[in-house]
Amino acid sequence: MIKLTIDGNEVEVEPGTTLLEAARALGTEIPHYCYHQDIGSDGNCRVCLVEVNGNTDKLAISCQQPCGEGMDVQTESESVVKARKGVMEFLLINHPLDCTICDQAGECPLQDYSYHYGSGDSRFVEDKRNKRKKVEFSDKVMFDAERCILCTRCTRYFETVRDSRPIGVENMGGQSTITLGPNGPIEDPYQLNIVDICPVGALTSRDFRFKQRVWFMDFADTVCPGCSKGCNITAGAYQGKLLRFVPRRNPDINKSWMCDDGRMSYENYNISERTRGALIAGEEASFEDAFAKIAELVGGGDGVAVLASTSNTCEELHALKAWAGKAGIAHLWHGSKSWESDDFLKESDATPNTKGAQMLGFEPVPTEAPALRGLVVAGEVEVPPALLANLDFLVLQSPVGGELAPAAMVMLPGLTRVEKQGTWVNSAGMAQVVKPALQPGSGVVDDWQLWRDLGGADGAEWSTLKALTRVCRAQLEGSAETPLVATES
Amino acid sequence: MKLSSVISARFGKPDSTALKGYREDGGYATWLQVLSEKRAPSSLIEEVKTSGLRGRGGAGFSTGMKWSFVPGDSPKPKYLCVNGDESEPGTFKDRQILEMDPHQLLEGVGIASYAIGAHIAYIYLRCEFKKGIETVEAAIREAYDAGLFGKNIQGSGYDLDVHLTMGAGAYICGEETSLLNSIEGVRPYPRNKPPFPAVEGLFACPTIVNNVETICNIPHIIKNGAAWHAGLGHSEDPGSRLWCVSGHVEKPGVYEIETGYKLQDLLDGPCGGMLGGRKLKAVIPGGSSSKVLLPEEVAKVTMDTPGIRAMGSSLGSAGIIVLDETTCMVDAVLNLMRFYAHESCGQCTPCREGTPWLVKILDRIERGEGREVDLELIEDLASNIEGRTVCALADGACWPLTSIVRKFRHEFVAKIPVSARKDVVSA
Repeated sequence: MIKLTIDGNEVEVEPGTTLLEAARALGTEIPHYCYHQDIGSDGNCRVCLVEVNGNTDKLAISCQQPCGEGMDVQTESESVVKARKGVMEFLLINHPLDCTICDQAGECPLQDYSYHYGSGDSRFVEDKRNKRKKVEFSDKVMFDAERCILCTRCTRYFETVRDSRPIGVENMGGQSTITLGPNGPIEDPYQLNIVDICPVGALTSRDFRFKQRVWFMDFADTVCPGCSKGCNITAGAYQGKLLRFVPRRNPDINKSWMCDDGRMSYENYNISERTRGALIAGEEASFEDAFAKIAELVGGGDGVAVLASTSNTCEELHALKAWAGKAGIAHLWHGSKSWESDDFLKESDATPNTKGAQMLGFEPVPTEAPALRGLVVAGEVEVPPALLANLDFLVLQSPVGGELAPAAMVMLPGLTRVEKQGTWVNSAGMAQVVKPALQPGSGVVDDWQLWRDLGGADGAEWSTLKALTRVCRAQLEGSAETPLVATES
Repeated sequence: MKLSSVISARFGKPDSTALKGYREDGGYATWLQVLSEKRAPSSLIEEVKTSGLRGRGGAGFSTGMKWSFVPGDSPKPKYLCVNGDESEPGTFKDRQILEMDPHQLLEGVGIASYAIGAHIAYIYLRCEFKKGIETVEAAIREAYDAGLFGKNIQGSGYDLDVHLTMGAGAYICGEETSLLNSIEGVRPYPRNKPPFPAVEGLFACPTIVNNVETICNIPHIIKNGAAWHAGLGHSEDPGSRLWCVSGHVEKPGVYEIETGYKLQDLLDGPCGGMLGGRKLKAVIPGGSSSKVLLPEEVAKVTMDTPGIRAMGSSLGSAGIIVLDETTCMVDAVLNLMRFYAHESCGQCTPCREGTPWLVKILDRIERGEGREVDLELIEDLASNIEGRTVCALADGACWPLTSIVRKFRHEFVAKIPVSARKDVVSA
């Protein structure tokens, strides 16, 4: 271990730790642009300069300078603040300062540091430099060279994370600019990550740009519902409509990245029409009547199966299972949905909680399913046509009825993946907290409450979702074939 | 003042570039002797160290010391890179060597590579040196044909391949780590140091980058001994250097002189005095990236590192730019800053954004639209650039600027409209 002092505070770090990281451990955030936790630093932006051992002639870049034994580091000394203000001034003189129309505004480190180190006045009385604007890097990403501060995070993302070079720097000096390579538009299926890591508004998502100011939006730190990888995300919504998913750092799962398909999957959850309230044979009915009807149809449970979507949370599945057990239903099956996987984050299982369902005792639909009298479908799931043949009845619980709706004797409402709250277990066996990004509105009850009330379950463990989560987690722990890692949001 | 002829001894000889002539003058004997005697590399490094030789590229670092930083126990291959990207304004000495005595360089390449344990050497030349490139290329071919390079040279068991590689016109490639990136085929941004090239350079292997003239000194030092070299010129910066004199003198050119002489004597003597007998106004003594000297400083300064440091400037690449009384210093420094802004590689924020800003300010002053506060602004901007970047070239851009603004402030003020002068503004 190496001992050093940062702003008078002693800190002990592993050899190889940079000054920036050591300061962060002390709670001091040194401004930085070119450094990014998951792609390292280039040392070009010069805003993270610090003073080491009183040397004010040559300041050290804290993003690359390794900690040394006994170092005396100043992160806010006179020379550091002057240099930092100088760098901020240099970055801003040719920057268009078009925050009022820039999508990055509100989540822009250039803006943030300007408030700290910038000046209200400008000493720059010359004409600003003109560069290209509205450069289409692809059908997903737009580039504005005037806003760019040339930190090269984007080019280094492709180099270090994607092992490719679709973009690079062209020209020299003040005319330097990020440019597309000779192979044309970026085709990488993980390209939107550069929009997130761009510290300014130079790279914008063509999907999100101009849609909403971020300070008006509501955010939920949750998990991507797109596949079984369980990438951590922040879902952003405005007035009940999802506008974007962006990755949220989790060093054990997705670092700072997510796939473009998962990111764009938010569009699936802005549904305009949905099931509200219960329906019996297509007619509106009260939940009580619907529950009574289901009890009547299920009878002793023989010849009846439950087919649950693996986008249900563990809590929902637990409640569903409790009801099914009470109703004497022996077949607990889970559905499946796949999309094309890749060798980075995207997994073929396009549902987020298959592992959780399996740990709770749900099994895949058997290839040769027994003859069924009735089927209870819980959540959005593709039902194999064979199961539907010769059914006496179908109970369908889902946010949208879809093609099966006409065939359903009883229909119950449900939550979409982004409205759910509870626990999903990803393919690696990590239990993660899922939070709702949208509210379903009237006529829709939480799925877990629906199954609880259908089964008439009561007692302390059923009183709140929190209590149920506790019970559920304990069950998961007990059945885990791989160690269960709980990831809090 | 006496001109010397160590490096330039064969300049101007008929057929000075051919192997035959070089060998007739005793060339390659030292290289062959090193090989046949199987000299211990460490003894060569020691010899160069005690010779007191300093790098001729600009930084003036001890060559032997640099060589000794190569980790001898590294299992990685080691490389020698010869920096012939001579791009510093006012500097044109390496070109003379390349065009007039390429074998002298190649012999030095052989000995230096042997000393640091390199089996591959790159000679990096700026692409504009068309003639130099042709000359060196032909010389390398001749040397290979004569068995002076290649595998198992002269049965010594030592292999050395020499490659010629070219830049594409960027000033920044003369910065040693940019040069390495350029050879590697990536964008030639300077690298953060440490690690220094001697530890982690070309292809992340130990690498020594030496200037062309530096390498040319090596055969002479090994042949004549460290003591011989240490006895030339100034004791703290010994040797015989090629001085490039340009500007307003009667006879500009490259002059080889031992260190320690007075600069004034060079200008008055070999250079034939000021052009047209006009008065001296200023000298930028070490390539354009050094601080300007006034006539009274020129009269005192000696041509060696300690002497020029005492005057607050640096020896750099020994490119002596002489400016006479007809020179407008605002114009001169604007011209220089245009160069630095144009050649900024664009990696670091302060240099990328700062140098074009300085050009705009100077241009405004030159146009007669300056304000006296601009002079303080120039100083402050320079202080936010100097020492705040990856490489030293940003420092080099600031040194001539700030020194000229300080020493010739009156010339700047004279260009500023009376209404924008301080005494008027504050009145």
